[in-house]
Amino acid sequence: MTRRPILDVKHLCVDYLAEDGVVHAVDDVSLTLRRGEILGLAGESGSGKSTMAYAITRLLRPPAEITGGEVLYDGRARANGEMTPSVGPVDILRLKPAQLRAVRWSEIAIVFQSAMNALNPTMTVGTQVLDVLATHRPEMPKPERNARARALFEMVGIAAERLKSYPHELSGGMRQRATIAIALALSPELIIMDEPTTALDVVVQREILTELMRLRERLDLSIIFITHDLSLLLEIADTVAIMYAGRVVESTSAHALHRQPRHPYSFGMLHSFPSLRGEQRLMTGIPGSPPDLRAVPAGCAFHPRCPLVYAPCSQVVPALMTMPTDSAAITDSGEQSVACHRYDPARSEGKPLPTATEMEDGYATLSSAFQEAGKA
Amino acid sequence: MTMTTPSTATPILEADHLRKHFPVRQFRPFAKPQVVHAVEDISLALVPGRALALVGESGSGKTTVARMLARLYEPTAGVIRFRGRPVTASRRAALLEYRHHVQMVFQDPFSSLNPVHSVRYHLGRVLRLHGRAHTRDEETAQILALLGKVSLTPAEQFIEKYPHQLSGGQRQRVSIARALAAGPEVLLADEPVSMLDVSIRLGVLNLLLRLKREERLAVLFITHDIASARYFAEETLIMYAGQSVESGPSDAVIQQPKHPYTQLLISAAPDPDRPATAKPLPARGEIPSLVTPPTGCRFHPRCPHAMPVCRERFPGRTELGNGHWTHCFLYGEGNDAPEGPATTHS
Repeated sequence: MTRRPILDVKHLCVDYLAEDGVVHAVDDVSLTLRRGEILGLAGESGSGKSTMAYAITRLLRPPAEITGGEVLYDGRARANGEMTPSVGPVDILRLKPAQLRAVRWSEIAIVFQSAMNALNPTMTVGTQVLDVLATHRPEMPKPERNARARALFEMVGIAAERLKSYPHELSGGMRQRATIAIALALSPELIIMDEPTTALDVVVQREILTELMRLRERLDLSIIFITHDLSLLLEIADTVAIMYAGRVVESTSAHALHRQPRHPYSFGMLHSFPSLRGEQRLMTGIPGSPPDLRAVPAGCAFHPRCPLVYAPCSQVVPALMTMPTDSAAITDSGEQSVACHRYDPARSEGKPLPTATEMEDGYATLSSAFQEAGKA
Repeated sequence: MTMTTPSTATPILEADHLRKHFPVRQFRPFAKPQVVHAVEDISLALVPGRALALVGESGSGKTTVARMLARLYEPTAGVIRFRGRPVTASRRAALLEYRHHVQMVFQDPFSSLNPVHSVRYHLGRVLRLHGRAHTRDEETAQILALLGKVSLTPAEQFIEKYPHQLSGGQRQRVSIARALAAGPEVLLADEPVSMLDVSIRLGVLNLLLRLKREERLAVLFITHDIASARYFAEETLIMYAGQSVESGPSDAVIQQPKHPYTQLLISAAPDPDRPATAKPLPARGEIPSLVTPPTGCRFHPRCPHAMPVCRERFPGRTELGNGHWTHCFLYGEGNDAPEGPATTHS
């Protein structure tokens, strides 16, 4: 069953105007989030994943600038036909300030990475929940707002008495739960979570994720989950987009990515996490380090670290192309898109499709080559 | 000897029943003095050419253990033995001599290097302090060799760089080179890769693996990521709220975890290969306060198998064979009573 997209990001570009030139933090990124699904956005620091989150909600401030693209949001009211159904999706990037205020938080909410900084240390968490309700729902009577705040806290698994606590009186996990409660305050349909569990311990992280999965079922949420932890995304996300140096290099269902990562970068990332099970072996990882966005390599930005590199890689930027999935088992959120010349029949120069062995051997040779170059 | 190391090699650095209490600063003059019970009764042994992973959540006392071993903290109780000889509170010269053998790598390469000094200064200072280089030429040659050892090449370029000109991975390599500059036999690595980008973590881990093998370093590898403990270390010690709960060969601890806390930790770790039938264990409660820790086994308020005895006293060590042991009443009383005098058993 294909569900309708709730968010359709098309060719989004974000630049940072730096002193010594322009940095393309997000470069021609297209993503689709279907209703009720979790879209995982993975990448290393500087890959543009957080900038994406801020761009979608239009929270970017100068020197960042959205230079192109569309963010089409198809909200619930329209889906239910309560509002003019003929209007269709709206482009968030073209909303007027008043319209934007109506969409933010009540339709699209965001949970920031560090709950420590997202909460105001001088106010109780309860005040901060009530603040949101008072600002966005001024017509709601006060007792109702209080009841809503209590309900929200219980929903995310914190005792309602904790509304009286200041952020420093809560543990890291509870603070993060509180920010989730605040994000849920106006029952949004779409939540963008920017590394929500990165600073937390694994046990707490697991608790919050379990809670989140439960909430998502119950409230029919659509979620964009941003993290650098790919092994986590494979567990929770429906589809995953992997970013490198501001571009999406692979976008596919979590299942397909786990089974067969296509892009050499995705392959390398997946093989950078030591596993809890299976046989022990030396892993090579990805040699080199992510590029400086002020000097992104020409052509495919990944080519200096890529084990499959050949002539066109340093000349032409590969486009994200859909490729047919070879297994009938994955049909629901089916297509696997990859930005790599080796998968492009027009540019592959007769080379066969890369295999896992080829990439693995390639990485092994490449990292010893990096070390050799080091010794020379 | 109380330590169980399957290898025949003798440990180079041992800790016996280490304990650390930090006083809590209080402003009420007549109040009862309070302490943070950061580490209670940790024993471990480091063997040349092998690694021991110390795994636990934040607040479990892993860093405190490393800092005691590095003699940055004075243990409240317990003995540290280097090559079988107890290391005692000592004068500056003796401390320098100790640090010549035992070095530490810190978690955050962004704050552990001084931004106003170049790589040459960072490494040269250690070489001079430990008397390993006397002339400038000697120093340069040694620095270049060290940079080569941590794969920062071309070394000639890196030697004059400042921390802000380096990436996170490169900085951590400089920190490792700085630790190696003293010519240590023991390396205490406190979460050496957790601040780094995913794609470069493995590079730094593999570097440490190579150094462990080539330099015959005894490594204490502190991490919160149990999967990387399995990758890096032959043995793993799991800590919870300052107490050791389980230890043994990494594969045994991770594939057949015995202690309920280890089981919880492993079931919570991200694992895309986990069979769909294996549901994550439900967790309840939080890490306790270490000022007023729970009595007995500190995990008992969160433990699904808690028994009355768990509240009363901390279980002794139960050997499970093959160097695998745990502190849990589910597997017996244990015979190494932690509260009494250190008893030796064969």
